[in-house]
Amino acid sequence: MSKRDEQKAKTRQIIIHAAFEQFSKGGLINTPTASVAKAAGVSHGTIFAHFPTREDLLDAVIEEFGIRVSERMHELAQGACGMREILQVHLKGISEYENFYIRLISETPLLHEDTKNTLIMIQSAVSFHLTQVAEREMEKHIIKRMPLNLMFNTWLGLIHYYLANRDLFAPEGSVISRYGEEWVQHFMNLISL
Amino acid sequence: MKMCIACGMPMKAKEDFAMGDESKDYCRYCARPDGSMQSYDEKLEGMTDFIVRTQGLDKAAGENAARGMMEKLPAWKK
Repeated sequence: MSKRDEQKAKTRQIIIHAAFEQFSKGGLINTPTASVAKAAGVSHGTIFAHFPTREDLLDAVIEEFGIRVSERMHELAQGACGMREILQVHLKGISEYENFYIRLISETPLLHEDTKNTLIMIQSAVSFHLTQVAEREMEKHIIKRMPLNLMFNTWLGLIHYYLANRDLFAPEGSVISRYGEEWVQHFMNLISL
Repeated sequence: MKMCIACGMPMKAKEDFAMGDESKDYCRYCARPDGSMQSYDEKLEGMTDFIVRTQGLDKAAGENAARGMMEKLPAWKK
C-alpha cells in the first residue's frame, strides 16, 4: 500500500470511528455530517470525499459494527462452545457498542432500504452462528428442538425490548451489564432439556 | 483477514475456505460439491432460504434483503 493509500485508509477509519460516537449520541437519522466532520477533525468536504452520500457513511459504520460483533462469534461457533457461551458472546459484542445498537434498532423503520439490508446482513451473521451451535445441541439432546427462526426471534425480542426501553430498565447505565446474565439464564431455562 | 467474496463471511481458519484451499476467495458455504463457486441464482436461493429459516422473514422480503446484501459483495457487484 502506498503512503497516500495508507493515509486515506487511516482517515477513513477516523471518520468511521467519529461517526460511531456521533450517531450513538445524536441518532442515526438526525446527526448532521458536519458534527461527524468536527468530531473527526476533518473538513466537511473530506467526509464526502470518502463517502459520497450520508447513507454510504452510515452503511460503512453499520458494517463495521457488524464485523466487530460477529467476529468473535465466528471463532467460537466453530469450536466446541455451547449455547450459553455463544449468547454471552453475542451480548458482549453488542455491549461494547450498546448506545449505537439501541439507536440502530430504534431507528430501523426509518432507515433507507440499503441500510436496512445491511442490518439484516448483520443479524444473518449472528443467526448463522447461533443456529450453528443450536443445531449441534439439538442433535445432542442438550436443548429442545424448535424452529430456528422462533428461537432466534425469541432471543432478539427479549434483548431488544429491554434495550429499546433502556430509560425504564436502566436509566443510569448499561442495560446489558445490568440484565445480560439474567437474560441468558432465562433463555437457557426456556430451551434446555 | 480475507472475506468471502460471495457471502461476506470472514475466513480465518483453513476449513472456512472452499475445499480448505486458502488461495480461494470464497468460503465453503459458497462452494458446490466439486469446489467451484455457486452461481448468482444458487446463492440467492440459498441466502433467501437461510434468512427465512433462521430469522423467519416473509419469503419475498427475505429475497429482497438477500438481493440487497449480494449487491454489496465483490462477487456480485455490478
